Amino acid sequence: MAALLRSARLLKCSPALLLQVTGNTRHAPAAGRLYSGAVGTPHVGLCVQQRGLVKDEPSVAVRSKQAQQFDWALAKLDSSVRRTGRVTKTLLLHIFHDICRTGYPSGNQALLMLRSCGSLLPEVPLVERIELSQRIWDKLQELGATYDVSHYNALLKTYLQNEFRFSPTDFLAKMEAANVQPNRVTYQRLIAAYCEVGDIEGASTILGFMKSKDLPITEAVFNSLATGHARARDMDSAEGILSVMKGAGIEPGPDTYLSLLNVYAEKGDFAKMKQTLEMVENADIHLMDRDLMQVVFSLTKAGHQQYVPEIVERMHHERGYVPDAMNLCLSLITHGHEETAFSVLKSFTGLLVQSQTSDSPDLGNFFLRHCVNMDKSVENIVRFCKDLKDSGLHSSPLQFTLQCSLEAKKTGMAVELMRRMKEEGVPLRPHYFWPLFTHYQKEKNISGTLQALRAMQELGVASDMDTFSIYILPSFPSVDSARTSLKEAGIDVDANILIAAELRAEASRGNLAGLFSLKPLLKSPLHLLLQITELLCKDPRFNSTEPETSENVAYFLYNLIDSMNETEVHSKEEQLREYFGLLKNMNISISLNIFRGIRNILESYQVPELVKEIACFHVVKYGGCWSVTSHHSKPVVSICVSMCVVELCLSHQKLERALELKILYEADMTPAAYAMLINLCCRHDNAEEALKLKMELARKDSEVALDAQKYVALVRVLSKHGKLEEAIDMLKEMKEKDVQLRDGTISLLTLTMNTAAMKGDANSIRRLQEAIFTLGLAKPSSNLCSPLITCYLESGNYAGAFDATVEVHKQYNQMPKIHDLICGLVEKGDAELLQNVVEFLSQERGEMMMLYDLYFAFLQTGRYKEARKIIETPGLRARPTRLQWFAEKCIAAQQMEPLENMVDMTVKLFECDRDDMYHCLLRLCKETNDWQKAEATWMKMQEENLAPRERTLRLLADILKNNDKEVPFEVPEAYDMLKEAGSTGMVLGPAPYDTLIKALLAKGNIEDAMAVKNIATDHVPEFSLSDNANSLLIVSQVKRCQMKDALGTLKGMLQADQVPSQLAITRLVQGLASEGNTQDIQEVEALVKTLGSIKLSSMLFVNNAALAHIKNEDIDSAVELLQSFYIQNTDNQKSSISFVFRKVLDANNDAALDKLSAMVERLCNHFASYRAATDLFLMYLDTGRTEEAKFLLQVLCCILLPVQAAKIKALSELIPDFTEKENIYSHLVKCCGLDKDFSSAKALYERMQAEGVKADELTLKRLALLYKEAGEPVPFEEPPESFSFYADKLKKQRSESMEPADC
Amino acid sequence: MAATAAGKKVFEVFVSKVLWTVATRDIKAYFGQFGQVKKCLLPFDKETGFHRGFCWIGFTTEEGLQNALQKDPHIIEGAKLQVQKNRKPFSGRKSNKEAEDI
Repeated sequence: MAALLRSARLLKCSPALLLQVTGNTRHAPAAGRLYSGAVGTPHVGLCVQQRGLVKDEPSVAVRSKQAQQFDWALAKLDSSVRRTGRVTKTLLLHIFHDICRTGYPSGNQALLMLRSCGSLLPEVPLVERIELSQRIWDKLQELGATYDVSHYNALLKTYLQNEFRFSPTDFLAKMEAANVQPNRVTYQRLIAAYCEVGDIEGASTILGFMKSKDLPITEAVFNSLATGHARARDMDSAEGILSVMKGAGIEPGPDTYLSLLNVYAEKGDFAKMKQTLEMVENADIHLMDRDLMQVVFSLTKAGHQQYVPEIVERMHHERGYVPDAMNLCLSLITHGHEETAFSVLKSFTGLLVQSQTSDSPDLGNFFLRHCVNMDKSVENIVRFCKDLKDSGLHSSPLQFTLQCSLEAKKTGMAVELMRRMKEEGVPLRPHYFWPLFTHYQKEKNISGTLQALRAMQELGVASDMDTFSIYILPSFPSVDSARTSLKEAGIDVDANILIAAELRAEASRGNLAGLFSLKPLLKSPLHLLLQITELLCKDPRFNSTEPETSENVAYFLYNLIDSMNETEVHSKEEQLREYFGLLKNMNISISLNIFRGIRNILESYQVPELVKEIACFHVVKYGGCWSVTSHHSKPVVSICVSMCVVELCLSHQKLERALELKILYEADMTPAAYAMLINLCCRHDNAEEALKLKMELARKDSEVALDAQKYVALVRVLSKHGKLEEAIDMLKEMKEKDVQLRDGTISLLTLTMNTAAMKGDANSIRRLQEAIFTLGLAKPSSNLCSPLITCYLESGNYAGAFDATVEVHKQYNQMPKIHDLICGLVEKGDAELLQNVVEFLSQERGEMMMLYDLYFAFLQTGRYKEARKIIETPGLRARPTRLQWFAEKCIAAQQMEPLENMVDMTVKLFECDRDDMYHCLLRLCKETNDWQKAEATWMKMQEENLAPRERTLRLLADILKNNDKEVPFEVPEAYDMLKEAGSTGMVLGPAPYDTLIKALLAKGNIEDAMAVKNIATDHVPEFSLSDNANSLLIVSQVKRCQMKDALGTLKGMLQADQVPSQLAITRLVQGLASEGNTQDIQEVEALVKTLGSIKLSSMLFVNNAALAHIKNEDIDSAVELLQSFYIQNTDNQKSSISFVFRKVLDANNDAALDKLSAMVERLCNHFASYRAATDLFLMYLDTGRTEEAKFLLQVLCCILLPVQAAKIKALSELIPDFTEKENIYSHLVKCCGLDKDFSSAKALYERMQAEGVKADELTLKRLALLYKEAGEPVPFEEPPESFSFYADKLKKQRSESMEPADC
Repeated sequence: MAATAAGKKVFEVFVSKVLWTVATRDIKAYFGQFGQVKKCLLPFDKETGFHRGFCWIGFTTEEGLQNALQKDPHIIEGAKLQVQKNRKPFSGRKSNKEAEDI
C-alpha cells in the first residue's frame, strides 16, 4: 500500500487551491459552496471538471430557454444556499418539475440538479435523497440530457454524501457502457466509497488504476485512506497516513486532520480527539466551525453524544455560523438525534437572539417545525416546547408547533398537541380544526372529517356555524347524508346551527334552484345575502362569459325582490339598502331588462330610496351606444390644401419654395403645416426663419404646441446660432404646454449641448442644463450632464473639467465622463490633479468604485502593469456592471488589447463571472472575425477549467464555422437529436416535440417539422400539434404558396376545436387573394365565422376578395363587391379599403385603378359615401402621388360645391387628427342657414360653446339670423355690420384660397 | 365608505399581524373595549383553513375609532397588533370570510 503510494506521481494539491479551481467557475462564491456541500460532507471541492461539451443543443429557442432556465435555477438555488446553507426539497422539486415541463434539459441543468441532492438537503432523510437523485438522473436522461464524466462524478458525490452503498466496479462498468471515460475525480470518489466501508483492497485496486493512467494522487486520496483504515479497524495505519503523506511530500491539511477526528469520534476516543485538536493547533491549521460540526455529527451518530458539548464549546462562531448550526440541528433531527440537536440549539440561542425581529420571542421555530415534519413523538416535542418557554426563548412554542402540525395535516399530532395545550390551560378554538377539515374536504374524506369532529367534541371545543357550513358540510355529498353520518357517528349537533349551516352550504354548493326556493332567505342576516351574491358573481359555474349565466346575479336579485311582499320590503328597507350599497362595490352589472323589472317592483312598493340605490348599479345597455361625433375636424378641402402644399415641398426638401407657398396659402396654413415648415427651417439650419414662423404661429394661435422633437430641433438651431435666450424661451414654452419628452428627444438635447461644447461655450451649456433640469423637462442624467465636462476636456482644460465634475455632481448628482477625465490625466501625467480626482471619487462613490475608475483608465491608456496592481488590491471584488461597461466599450471601439488584458487580469478577481468575460472577448473576436484569437480564447477557457454557458460555445462555434474551421465540439440541432432519440426508442412527452416543431416552423422548415411530427405520432399516439404550432404551420405553408395545404391545416384545426391565430388567418386569406382564389376566401370566411372569438380586421375578407378578383383581371367584380359593401350598409363608412388601393398602386395596375377611381367618384356622387375617396386620397399622398391627389381633390371639390350639412359632417368625421374646428363649424352653420334648420343650428352653437370654439363674425351673423327667424332671443351679441361686410373680410383673409365653398 | 343606514359612516380600522390562534370573537371582544363594534371581518383562506393575519374592525362611532387609534400598543395573546385607520372602504373582499351580523 505504502509502496503503491510512494511510487505514484504526486501532485501537491491543497484544498485551498482546489477550492480556487472551483472558484474559477462562473458562479464563483456561493456556487463554490453549493458544490462543496454543507455540513456532513468532507470539503472536497473539485466537482468542476473539464466537462466534455455535451450534446444538448436543441433549437435556438429551446436553447436560449434552457440557458435562461439554468441561470434562473442557479440563482434560486444559489440564493437559498447563500442565505441558509441549504436547499429545501420543495424548491429543488419545483425547479426539477420546471425543467421537465420545458423539456430538453441541458447538461448544465442536470449537473446543477444532481449537485443539490446531497448534504444540501439536511431536512431530507438519506433514503429519500438517494431516491431523489436517482429519479432526477433517470428522468433527465429520459428527457434527453446527455451525461458526461462530470455528471457521473456528481452522482458519485451524492452517493458519498448520502452514505449510499454501491458497487464501485458496477459504477465503472456503467460508465464504460455509456462510453464515458472516468477521470481523476471519479477515481478519487470511488476510493472514498471503498474507504467508507473500510475496503482498503478495493481502494488499492482503484489506486492501481490511477497509477497506471499516471494520474496524480492528491490529498483527498490520503484523507479517504485514513478513514478507510480506521473503518477497517486498523487505527495504526490510519494514523500512519500522516507520515506517509509527509514522506510523499504532501503536507497534511485541515481535511486530513478532520478525517482523523471523525474516525476517533466514531470510536468515541475523546482523548485522541483532544490530542489531534492540539496537533492541529500546533500545526497552525485552522479547523472551521463547519469541520467541527462534522465531528459533532460523527460523535452523535456513533452514540457518543456526551462529548458533543466539549466540541461545541470549541466553535469560533465564525460568519455563517448560525445557518450552519441550524443545518447541523436539522441533520441531527433527520437522523433521529433530536435530543442532541436540542442541546446544540440551546448552545447558540444567544446568537439567534441578535437576529430576533418580532416583538415576542420565537426562537427555535425551525427546530420545532422540523420535529413535526419528522414525526417526532409529541412527548419529546412538548418537552422541547416547555424548555423553550421556561427559558424565555419562545413565547408560545406549543401554538407554533400546533400550527406546523396543522399545516402538515398531521391530525393525530395536532389533536395530541391540543390535548396538551388544554392540560396546560391554553384555550382551544374552533378554527384550530379548520385546516384539518379543509384537508379532508379536498379529499372528500368523510371518515377523516368525522374523526376530527369527534376529537373536537372530545376536547370540548364547540363547533359553530362556520365550522359546519364552510368546513364540514361540503365534505358530504348532501346535507342529508351529512346529517345521517353525524348521527351514526354519534356526534351531537345544535339543530339551529345545522340549519343555518345548511342554508349557507346550499348557497356555496351553487344550488341556484334550491336557493330560490329558500323563501325565508331574507330572515337570514345580511352577510349571508352578500355571500350568496358574491358567490354568484365569482363562482365560474354561475358567472361564465356566456350571457345567460352572467345574468344569474341580476336574476337572483330580481327573484329576491320579487319574492318579498311590500310589507317585507318596507320592514327590511334598511337592510336592503345596505345590501345594495355593498353590492355596488362588488362591481355587479345587470342588464337593462332586469334592472327595469326590479325598479318596477320597488317603485310599486314605493321605496324611492331603494330605487335610488339600485339605479347606481352598473346597468349594461345592450345594442351599443351612440358615439359622439369626432370634434377633431376640419373641412376636407382645407386640409387637403395644407397637406398638398406642405407635402409637395417637404418631399423635395425645398425650403424656399415651401416658404413661397406658405405666403400664397397663408390663410389655409394649419398648425400642422406650420410645424412642418418650422422643422424644415431647422433642418436647413435657418434659425431666423424658424423663429419667425414660430412667432407667427403663436400669434395665430397661442395654444398650439409643436411636438417635442420639433421643439428640440428648434432649440438646437436657436442655440447653435447664438439665440440662447430664445432657445431657453422655447424650453419654457415646452414646459408650459406640457410637452412630454421621449428618450430620443432627450438625446437630441444632449446633442444640442454637445454642439455648444465643441465651440467651448460652457456658459450656454450651463444655462441650457439649468433650464432643462429646473423646468423638469428631463431628469438629470449622465448623458445630459456630460457636454459640460466634454467642453473642458476638448480644450484640454483638465482642472476646469474636474471643477465642472464636482459642480455637476453637487448640483445634479451625476458624474459623467469621469473615465475620459482620468484617462486624460493619466496620459498627461498630472499626478497632482489625478490625486485630487481620486480623493474626490473615493469620497463620493467609495474606494471600490474609484479603484475601478482608475483601473479602467490604466487599461485604456495601455498602462497594464499599473492596472494589474490595482485589480489585485486585496479585498477588491468583481463588479459585473462595471466590468461589463468597460468590455462593451472595448467591443464598440474594437479594442482587443485592453479587453484581453482585462480578461487575463481578472482571473483571480473575487466573484468574477469568467464566462461573461470570455463571452465578451469572443464577441469582439466575432466583430473582427478573428478566429485565431477565438481559438486561443477557447484554450484559455479550458485551462481555467471553465464550464461555459451555451451562448459562449455557440458564439465560438459561429466564429470558427464562418472561417471554415473545424468546431472542436458538437453543437447538434435538436432535430438530429430527436431523430436519434426516435431511433434509439427513447420516449419523450408531447411538449418537447411541440416546442421543436414550433422552432422549426419559425424557421420555415416545414419538412423537418413534419418529420418531427411523424416521430411524435409514432411515440405518442394521441400527439397533435398545439394551436400555436398549427398556426405557425399555416403561416409557413402560405409563405411557400402551398395554399391547399394551408387551408387543409386550418380545416383540421377547426375540426379539432383549435383556435387559429389571427396572423395565420390573415396570411392565409392574403395568400388566397394573391392567387386570385375568391372561392376559398369565401370558404375561410364561412369557417372562421363559426369561431367568433378571434379578432380579425373586419375588412380582411372584403379587401382580399376584391384583390382576388383584381388578380383574376375581373375588376368589375371587385368594383361591384366594394361598391355594394359601402352602399348596403352605412356603418361600413368606418371600414377602410386602403389596403386594396395600396396593393393596386404598388402593382401599378392602371386598369384597376381607373375603374376604382371611377367607383370612388360614383360613391361620392350618387351615394354620399366618402370613405373610399378619403382612403384613395390619403393613399395617393402616402405613396407620393401628389398630382393624382390634387386631381382627386378637385373632383371632390366639385362634388362638394352643392354643400349639404350631412355630407360635410360625414366627411369631416372620416378625417381625424385635425385641431381646427372653426372652419367646420362655420360650414355647418352655413348649411343650417341654407336648410333653415334652426334646431340643428342651435345645437351646433351649444356644442361650439361647449368645445370652446370661437365662431367668426360671419357665422355669428348667420346664427343670429336663424335665432331671430325662429323668434328666439339671440344668446350673443350680434355683429353690427352687414353680411357682405364680414364675407368680404373673410374673403380677404382667405385670398388665394383654393377653398371654393365659402361665399 | 360603504353605505349604511341613514347615511351613517362606518369607522373602520385595519388590523394586521393577528396571530393565527386568535379567532374573530376574540378580536371583536378586544376591540369592544374602545367602543361598540359594528363589524369584525377576519378573512380565512379556504385553501389552508388559516386566517390571513389581518382584519377589519368597524366601530359605530367616530369615538370608538379614535379610542382604538390612540391606544398603543395593542396586544392580543402576547403579540403586538398593527392597527391603522382603514384607508379603503370595506367591500365584500373575500368570498370566504367570517363576518358578524349587525
